[in-house]
Amino acid sequence: MTKTFISLAAIAILAVSISVAAQDAVPINADAAMAEAMSAEASESESRDQFRSLDQDVQTLKKEVLDLNRDLFLLEEELLFPANSQVAFFISMDVGEYFELDSVNIKIDGKEVANYLYTSREADALIRGGVHRVHMANLKTGDHELIAIFTGKGPHVRDYRRGATITFDKGIGAKYLELEITDRVRKQQPEFVIKEWE
Amino acid sequence: MNIRNSIFALLVCVFAASSIASSGLEGQPAPDFALKSASGVNLRLSEYRGDVVMINFWATWCGPCRQEMPLLDELYARYQRVGFNLLGVNIDDDSRRAMKMIDELGVSFPVLFDARKEVSKLYEVEAMPVTVLVDRDGRVRHVHHGYKPGYEEKYLDQIRSLLRE
Repeated sequence: MTKTFISLAAIAILAVSISVAAQDAVPINADAAMAEAMSAEASESESRDQFRSLDQDVQTLKKEVLDLNRDLFLLEEELLFPANSQVAFFISMDVGEYFELDSVNIKIDGKEVANYLYTSREADALIRGGVHRVHMANLKTGDHELIAIFTGKGPHVRDYRRGATITFDKGIGAKYLELEITDRVRKQQPEFVIKEWE
Repeated sequence: MNIRNSIFALLVCVFAASSIASSGLEGQPAPDFALKSASGVNLRLSEYRGDVVMINFWATWCGPCRQEMPLLDELYARYQRVGFNLLGVNIDDDSRRAMKMIDELGVSFPVLFDARKEVSKLYEVEAMPVTVLVDRDGRVRHVHHGYKPGYEEKYLDQIRSLLRE
């Protein structure tokens, strides 16, 4: 009987202790969940920050690549066509009633450097005021001879071939020469003029 | 050991075949050029940007070219109105012979003269005929060396697929 009583009492004490423990456990679980949620939020914001910084890194890298590309381009241009020895030749046309341009052949110091065929669209663009850079070269300082041969259709749609020549002095610094085709109305003939840009 | 050797030989054959079939120009921007045409006007490749362009290098002394050209002319007549252009580039030293052959064959596509062989050098022409297909963006997509009956079917498929892009 006493044994039974003792065991009943023990069970009762155990039940009470379990219920107390359970009551204590609820707030512990809520705290843990809250802490977990907070840590998840923190990690999410951390990953977002990381993503943002990665994105910024990519943007910076992209900008650096573009800058590098620009620098390389300029460097290549400077190396291939140093400004001091650079000579550029341009073709322009004024009116063009007496001449239909077909091609231009350029010789510098007796050596052919360019032979450009013009399509009707390109010739039309020149008549409309366009200027075409037909050749770019590097020349030493001193005198050089330029011969430009123009072929096309002249007055009365006849095959026409004319040359123009100039001896120019290449000083220090870039040089620009314009090969201009104009109409000489009085003679009803085209005229080919080579001009040095100042 | 024998199996290993035969696999190696097979791989070598496959590699060699693929290197012959592909050209260094495929996938590259098509080198631009301007040439005088049989009609007397100058034509420039870059002015055809936006169209699918076939460049066919040919010569009067080339038998397969004579066979191929009327078939190419049929393709040109059929697809010209939907953005397909064909430029025949003749590499003879004397353009009069080429003009005679064009008249004989009665082809209607523009024929250009590359007597100085500058354009054929640009396109690494080492066989006759060579047919190059350029897409709407101006990139070389297919290069065919030589001609055998049945190639026109291949051209047709490729032209149609490039026109659809």
